[in-house]
Amino acid sequence: MLIYTLLAGLLFGLYFSLMGLGLNLMFGVMRIVNLAHGDFLMLGAFLAFWLFNLFALNPIPGVAVAFALFLLAGLPLYYLLVPRLLAARDPEMLSFILFFGFSQVIEAVATIAFGTSERSIPGGSMARAAAAVASLLDLAYRPGPIAFLGQSFPVAWLAAGIVSALAVLLIYVYLYRTRLGYLTRAVMASREEAISTGIDVHRVSAIAFGIGIALAAVAGVFVPFMLGSITPAMGVDVTITSFAVIVIGSLGNPLGTVLGGILYGVSYMFMQSYYSSWANLLPYLLLIAVLLVRPSGLLGRQVRRA
Amino acid sequence: MIRHTLLAALSSLALVTPAVAAEAPAEIKLGALYASSGRFASISMPVHDGMMLWLEQKNAEGGVFVKVFNRKIPLKLIAYDDQSNTGTAATLYNQLITQDKVDILIADSGSVLTSVAVPIARDNKMLLIDQTGTGATFFTPDNPYIVLLDDPVSTIWPKPLADFLTQEGPKLGIKKVAMIYATNDFTGTQANAVRKFIKESNSGVELVYDQGVPTETSNYTVLINNIRATQPDAVIELGYAPNDIAFLRNLADSGVKFNFLFCIYPGLETDLLAKNVGAAGLNGVFTYVPSSEMSYESEFGMNLPQFKAAWNKAYGHGKVEFGFNSVAGYTTGLVLEKALATADSLDQLALRKAIFDLSGKLKTIDGTFELNAEGAQIGEITPLGQLAAEGEQIKFVTVWPFAVATGKPIYPAP
Repeated sequence: MLIYTLLAGLLFGLYFSLMGLGLNLMFGVMRIVNLAHGDFLMLGAFLAFWLFNLFALNPIPGVAVAFALFLLAGLPLYYLLVPRLLAARDPEMLSFILFFGFSQVIEAVATIAFGTSERSIPGGSMARAAAAVASLLDLAYRPGPIAFLGQSFPVAWLAAGIVSALAVLLIYVYLYRTRLGYLTRAVMASREEAISTGIDVHRVSAIAFGIGIALAAVAGVFVPFMLGSITPAMGVDVTITSFAVIVIGSLGNPLGTVLGGILYGVSYMFMQSYYSSWANLLPYLLLIAVLLVRPSGLLGRQVRRA
Repeated sequence: MIRHTLLAALSSLALVTPAVAAEAPAEIKLGALYASSGRFASISMPVHDGMMLWLEQKNAEGGVFVKVFNRKIPLKLIAYDDQSNTGTAATLYNQLITQDKVDILIADSGSVLTSVAVPIARDNKMLLIDQTGTGATFFTPDNPYIVLLDDPVSTIWPKPLADFLTQEGPKLGIKKVAMIYATNDFTGTQANAVRKFIKESNSGVELVYDQGVPTETSNYTVLINNIRATQPDAVIELGYAPNDIAFLRNLADSGVKFNFLFCIYPGLETDLLAKNVGAAGLNGVFTYVPSSEMSYESEFGMNLPQFKAAWNKAYGHGKVEFGFNSVAGYTTGLVLEKALATADSLDQLALRKAIFDLSGKLKTIDGTFELNAEGAQIGEITPLGQLAAEGEQIKFVTVWPFAVATGKPIYPAP
């Protein structure tokens, strides 16, 4: 039970990291808090649902479609919302209000469009995708749960874990191995200095904004498998969880998000196993504990200015 | 002379005043809440839509007959969206009573959103028309301002389930039972009842796992693994629809199989569960057999096939699924219609008396309406059934009590 709980926490923690990654990137680059983050994740989940139901597109290739579509949607959305926000006297505080309103609009429109009932994608679809991948790699796999370090887990957990790890890796490659990434880090370090050196700050920020909501949409594709079902109202809970994850890890630091997600996941699973009635208190308890001990988050100072 | 004339005028005014007060209102104001979003939307909207179906039907006929005015009066529904939020619901219940001054106060669906209405209605001396809020703590001898209309109080719900496990279970080899429940008034009360029934049965059946989880729980995989470790012969999972969906999906994805699994919502909202879990995921699951499946002899209002046809005509878009909660909302309307037709006044306690007078006498699509002294529903019972998947079709087999059984339980479940 102990080992299962620990491994489940690690896997689920990776998924929590993916949930928070986009939110953190946005904050790191633009110093704005996207309270509609969970709603973008919900829209990604509905996209996967409709892709599956209308075109029989498996959620795994659906990840790529969701990323591309939301990245493209994010660019004009950035120019519509953010430049004016950043020109304000207190953009960080105003972003709370703006994106809270935006969250309400998205939820209302989604409710009208999709109804209030829960929606899901059949669990077997993920197993079929895993079987196809296993066949390509010439690995033996029979559709069903998968063995991981001697324990059996739903294949979707492993898929979500792998996609999360890949997303983190790609974000690092983007930030540390590409020219655009260098520029992005320059904006993260100091927006004013970046402007003075001639960096097209809005272009860099727009791409980061697009990647941020695209990552949320990718996390959304796994919602039916990780969080049971999709509803238009799920965004708020997801935003709270994501916010807790990135604050625990440290705001503006992707590596901190991974650490925050894993810590959150492991703690959550242990709470579920041993004090299940109190499991929902965990995000707040962790937040309070981390903010009391290390107000800048677990990886606050060291990496933020790297 | 002038004095006499004035006195005569005042006297005639005094005579006229009671007549004006007894004049029929232009409309009867019903105040209700619903949740168009949030965790309880999928159980709230069917109830709301079911009641709307009744209300629109009645208004098309010119309203409902109100005995005290000896005529039909149209109904006006003032309904607000609480978005599944108890804080918002509390504010809106107050608004319905103090600002809108409704004649009849109707709670939102489910125990969580009803719980905040109970003290508010009581403090304002308004009779709370509790539709499906079944928490046992709502009903106390010192509170006459509540009446549960559409499903039995939670202490009654699991009786057939517990009786089956303690009476038939040992014969089938069921000795160890695991129970996991969402910690809210609805399922928490049922969990308490199951615990009590098993303990009092002295049947040798024991609870080997008994854990509560927050109602917001969306992943049960680790918990399923923990339950499996106790090697139970039967598993009871008590939650709302999203809980049951998550549990059943996680169970299928984990590859874990329990010989006996009971969940509430596969029976109550079968279409919704089938959409999310698939017919195979529901095959063999034990559940309640609600009035949306069991065709009761209806002596007032539409019967089940008629109601289902009317529902499909009105809400064929599929955004709100047909299920027990649809029947519940319609039943609310039927009980109110009967009560208004017999109440001596629109005073809240007179309405209560009229509703209590229906106890044991009213048979609707939802079964026999019967109340205990505290206003809790004890009539519309929920037999135990087992689901059988035939392709994509789900069929109910009622297995307990024997008097209403339509088949035998399959144990271990397929």
